[in-house]
Amino acid sequence: MKTVIIIILLFSSLIFSQTDWVKWEAKQISYEVKKEVIQPSAANGLGTKLVSGLQKFYKFFISDLDGDNCPFYPSCSKFFVESVNEAGLIKGSLMFTDRFIRDLNFFKGSNDYPKYINGKYYDPAYNYTLISQKIKYFPGDAVVKE
Amino acid sequence: MLLSKNKVISQNFILLIIFVLIFQKDIFCQQLKDNLLSVGSRLKFADYLFQQEDYLRALNEYREFLKFENNDSVRYRLAESFFRIGRFSEAADNFKGLFLGSDISEEAKLGFYRSFFFSGDYKIFRELATTSIYVPDKYKTEINRLYFISHFMDNTLPYDTAKMFSAFPDSNRQEIKNFYRGRKFPEYKSPTTAALLSAAVPGLGKIYTGEIGDGITSFITTGLLVFLSVNNFDHDHDFRGWLFAGLATLSYGGTIYGSAASAQIYNAGIKFNIDNGIKLYFEKRNYFLPKLEF
Repeated sequence: MKTVIIIILLFSSLIFSQTDWVKWEAKQISYEVKKEVIQPSAANGLGTKLVSGLQKFYKFFISDLDGDNCPFYPSCSKFFVESVNEAGLIKGSLMFTDRFIRDLNFFKGSNDYPKYINGKYYDPAYNYTLISQKIKYFPGDAVVKE
Repeated sequence: MLLSKNKVISQNFILLIIFVLIFQKDIFCQQLKDNLLSVGSRLKFADYLFQQEDYLRALNEYREFLKFENNDSVRYRLAESFFRIGRFSEAADNFKGLFLGSDISEEAKLGFYRSFFFSGDYKIFRELATTSIYVPDKYKTEINRLYFISHFMDNTLPYDTAKMFSAFPDSNRQEIKNFYRGRKFPEYKSPTTAALLSAAVPGLGKIYTGEIGDGITSFITTGLLVFLSVNNFDHDHDFRGWLFAGLATLSYGGTIYGSAASAQIYNAGIKFNIDNGIKLYFEKRNYFLPKLEF
């Protein structure tokens, strides 16, 4: 009994202390690296699957051995998959060709591409679908974190 | 006997430590002359929170204060707190409560209009500014200016500009005119023209949209692929000829497509710069509103 009273007295300050720490408690952050999966749209499922297969083949047999050389984010192969997913096989192929030619350009730095957080030029496929509502413009000095 | 005495001393020592631990909070606790939860203390604390820009907690303290005492400037600060944390409809309601029988009713009316303006629903704001009886006489010019700024913000600029330009101070009129021109007649590039130019000369459409490096690269790539195709056909390498012909066609098509897309991105950039420029300009000048403090 004596021990219990002593313990209660000892912790009395905790009982009456401020309790709103719950409101401001630190959030649990997950550091798990999320797998980037491109969901094929219903209309272009077949085209996306086909190009995805090609991209996986290229990634396994060429890109992984050659290294991460593309100056853009997403990389050209991923851009191809995304563009086919966004706009279909024919339009997506034109988008990819355009991107590939832009990748060949030796003066890319002057194009005012925004930078992605990994330091690469940010150049997403949705900006090239010719649907102006889909375009998300970032100024050249911006660092994109999305 | 000696052992028992030592035991008593030890027990007393433990008790002493326990008492010290129990009363330590009293030793180090804050000493207050006034009651912490008194009305005066609440107001002081609320003002402190307001000064510290902790408006969410400040408005709770103002609310508690107003349960005991009625004070117009505190009610104004309560409304202002709602305004500053972006709860514009609650801010407008609280400003409205000061319209009648208050010495600061004119300022409250201005606050009411500010709340509607900053809520982003410019259509309702303009309706209120033109039809409502609440427009304060003292701040008629400010409300009129906000009315025209709202046209800049949602790109619904009127063609009759004489009234609009005269609402702004002389020193700012030229910049406002520039913004008007930028908004009304933006220097967009036509995606169709870009595509047609690239169809005529591969890459020319990209040069038209300002992407000179991309344009030259497109021209060289397409030209090289066409040359390789023709050259291979000339030397009876039909397979390679057709292969390069296919690649040249793809490159040509991609360049035309890319030129149109490039024009669209260029236009998005122009729109972004105009929007941003106008927003920053008015923000920097606090939308030509007076700074009120109570």
